[in-house]
Amino acid sequence: MPHAPLPIPPIPSMLSVLIWAPIIGAAAIAFLPGGENQPSRVRLGAATIAFFTLLWNLFLLLKFDITNPGMQLTEYLPWNETLGLGYQLGADGLSMVMLVLNSFLTWIAIYCSSKDTERPRLFYSLILFISGGVAGAFAAQNLLLFFLFYELELIPFYLLISIWGGEKRSYAAIKFLIYTAVSGALIFASFLGMVWLSGGTSFAYDTLTTQTLSTTLQIVLLSGIIVAFGIKIPLIPFHTWLPDAYVEASAPIAILLGGVLAKLGTYGILRFGLQLFPEAWAIVAPSLAMWGATSAMYGAVTAIAQKDIKRMVAYSSIGHMGYILVAAAAATPLALVGGVAQMFSHGIILAILFHLVGVVENKVGTRELDKLNGLMSPIRGLPLISALLVLGGMASAGIPGMTGFIAEFIVFQGSFSAFPIPTILCIVATGLTAVYFVILLNRTCFGKLNNRLAYYPKVVWSEKMPALILTAVVIFLGVQPTWLVRWSETSTTAMVATIPSVEKIASTPVAMK
Amino acid sequence: MVQTPDLPKTKLPPSTHEFAEVIHRLEAGGSMLPDTPENLMQIIGLYKAYAVPMDFYWRDLLYIAEQVFLDPFPFFKFFISQEYLDRENHYAGDNADLRIWRGIGSAHPELLAFIEKGETGKIPKLLHHLLHDRINMEFAEECMRSMLWHRKMYCPVNQFDPYLDSDEYKANADRAIKAYFQGNPVMQGLYKLFPDMFLEQCRQMSYYANLGLFWEVMAPVFFEMSDIYDEGGFKGVPDAMDFLVNGIFAIAGRPIYHHVYIRGECYEIIPKSKGFTWLYEAALPYVEAVFYRTSPFRGTKSYNAQAAQVPDKQKDFHYGILYADVFPVGTAGIPPTLLMQDMLHFLPQYLVDYYKQYCRGEEDMLIQLGISFQRSMYNVTSAVIQALRTALLYPLDDPNPKHLQANREFFEAQLSRFTREEYGMRDAARLSYVQSQDYR
Repeated sequence: MPHAPLPIPPIPSMLSVLIWAPIIGAAAIAFLPGGENQPSRVRLGAATIAFFTLLWNLFLLLKFDITNPGMQLTEYLPWNETLGLGYQLGADGLSMVMLVLNSFLTWIAIYCSSKDTERPRLFYSLILFISGGVAGAFAAQNLLLFFLFYELELIPFYLLISIWGGEKRSYAAIKFLIYTAVSGALIFASFLGMVWLSGGTSFAYDTLTTQTLSTTLQIVLLSGIIVAFGIKIPLIPFHTWLPDAYVEASAPIAILLGGVLAKLGTYGILRFGLQLFPEAWAIVAPSLAMWGATSAMYGAVTAIAQKDIKRMVAYSSIGHMGYILVAAAAATPLALVGGVAQMFSHGIILAILFHLVGVVENKVGTRELDKLNGLMSPIRGLPLISALLVLGGMASAGIPGMTGFIAEFIVFQGSFSAFPIPTILCIVATGLTAVYFVILLNRTCFGKLNNRLAYYPKVVWSEKMPALILTAVVIFLGVQPTWLVRWSETSTTAMVATIPSVEKIASTPVAMK
Repeated sequence: MVQTPDLPKTKLPPSTHEFAEVIHRLEAGGSMLPDTPENLMQIIGLYKAYAVPMDFYWRDLLYIAEQVFLDPFPFFKFFISQEYLDRENHYAGDNADLRIWRGIGSAHPELLAFIEKGETGKIPKLLHHLLHDRINMEFAEECMRSMLWHRKMYCPVNQFDPYLDSDEYKANADRAIKAYFQGNPVMQGLYKLFPDMFLEQCRQMSYYANLGLFWEVMAPVFFEMSDIYDEGGFKGVPDAMDFLVNGIFAIAGRPIYHHVYIRGECYEIIPKSKGFTWLYEAALPYVEAVFYRTSPFRGTKSYNAQAAQVPDKQKDFHYGILYADVFPVGTAGIPPTLLMQDMLHFLPQYLVDYYKQYCRGEEDMLIQLGISFQRSMYNVTSAVIQALRTALLYPLDDPNPKHLQANREFFEAQLSRFTREEYGMRDAARLSYVQSQDYR
């Protein structure tokens, strides 16, 4: 006789911990006495807070009912009823995966940061602050609350790039700030449009009636959402901030930018585009699919031409984010599961790559393809880092046995029936991923070490561990893909079920053209 | 600090050669290696670390040449017999025929201790062998093969090599081969079918003997240099080089031969009476084959012969220790990792302490000692160049400017070998590297 599921006792503020633990931790670290002279102590404190947040997130994952497609772990506190703003949190499968990714990569980013970081209190406070803000955005169930959390990370990221970045950090940080500010303004305008034009007074998701708007208005508002979040993802031609920001940011910040922040873009497109404007979505889906495929091809081809390995990884990120847009456009149950899986998978693979590129730059002193050589050399080179770089490249290129393959395969399998040509273009882009990673690995890891220059410091365990942990996750999810998709499957299926027209239009001959 | 030896009284105008500084140093009786205390410490420490495995190399090379000979399945050729471990060196020890060096005649105590325990402790000899916890004879064989492969070096001064093609040698080898395979119809049949193959194997055995006899001399030389250094005897790199030059002349006439012992009977494939000597028939070809030439080795870089990365002529080969890329460790070649591994076991403590201070300390000691080895071999090559100059040209303090000019041209010709552009020789040569102490 089947047992009835045990009722989960309501524990208030479960999701709030994910937001406020890092933010309170950030405040505590910012005022840690004597911390400025003891960066490793501050780093340890920040890592402890991040690890606790991760553990809490995993605990929530255990509490999460994967059979329930609706919002769970909800919280509500009235805030400003006049404005329609409430402290309203909740998580479905999509949010849950993103929350785990956020807390995991925050911990990894802190772990892989230098023990000698200058101004450590500010650095780690900002990272924790971002973690709290991003968690809030993923958990928010109110448009205004989402917007507040979305904007919260803007200045910290600006500071993290402009203070601890590379040579052109000021330029990159300002560019990032302008693009993200424009993105925020567009989001705000679209949100206001959604509520005001539909005659609502509350910004709570569950009270929105955007489907009642005319198709034209829906398309206009959806366009605002797509462009706004397209900047964040980023999609071409809104991507030009990305190579500069990713390259100039230090490795931990690049991990957060590519692994977490970019996911806010794809999350926003799914949550506020696909879910709130299903009819308009069905109309623009073919164009979106082609846009995603073009982004994927552009990212891959441009990556091939790069001479800087970090820039190469940055462009590869543009390419891989394109797959998610194709999956979202297709909006089949399988494609959406694949899209969410790709969001997670891309996050951890990008984190490995940025971390390893950071170690290489730190040890060798250059990221130039033409100067790097022979790092696989067993004694004077960086053999483990090179081996993991090979593995990261393979994971990114979608080699079976690793999470990249699972996510991409599901995306392609799910999208092909709806949009065959964009899907095929994405498959070609995957092939091109292998091309640029072979170029990167061949020039970086193989060949001869330069006898005059190759006196690199040895890689210590604290530099190896983040990559080893990420590798373990990449391989585990590659051979046990259920753990990657089970969390979001019910939610994404429910998402598609509410928009039957998408499937209908997507599978019509018109869409096949 | 680099100390330049005193220049001769008769002065030539400064050399315009690319390595003018090195040439001036050679003309002043110095070495290609700058005279610094650090260099002296490194090269002497390495001579000691090299001498211990070399004490095994020469014994085993002679064991293979004289006892194993043409065994078609020489699985145990590195399992040297006690007789060869106890064998007295001809030029060192109380029982030496001609005692020139002060060390003991039988195998060095450090060598015996290592053979017994290795790194893994007291385990059966076969396990030591399979775990490579042993003296790696593969390096010695690689050197021998280089000498065999780069034939006709220093001819006609070197008469050993042409002799291997003579009828007399073939007749001697034939007798030994027939005796060795007596009662073995299969091998006798194969010998009838492929006589040249057996003869070539016999030539290889002769080179085993050649190299074994060469190193029998070098091992006690290096031991003694280490002892003198420990006693504070060497004041600089030139002193160490002079010791080698004097050693070369002291032993130059040592006979080079190949005897094989089959069922207790001695077969003289190359009899001592042929008059082949240590300097011309062993030392000079060895330096040319092993220090300069050898063969392209499998490193992390592949050589593409079709893209003309490998020279057409063997004399243009440049893969020896003087050109070697010591960084890609873990591959075969000269100096192969195996030699470095052998030397690692016998480093003097002062060198271990020194290496710990630089680069990755103990982690990359194998490379650091490889580079010290390269420095020490530049010093040995300098000794050979000075010895050749002494034998063929004029004293360094010769008052005749024409003679000094001849000396200079000789030195310049020698160093020009490191400046040739063909096949990337110039980039590969480490002469410019070893001028700096930062090359580690």
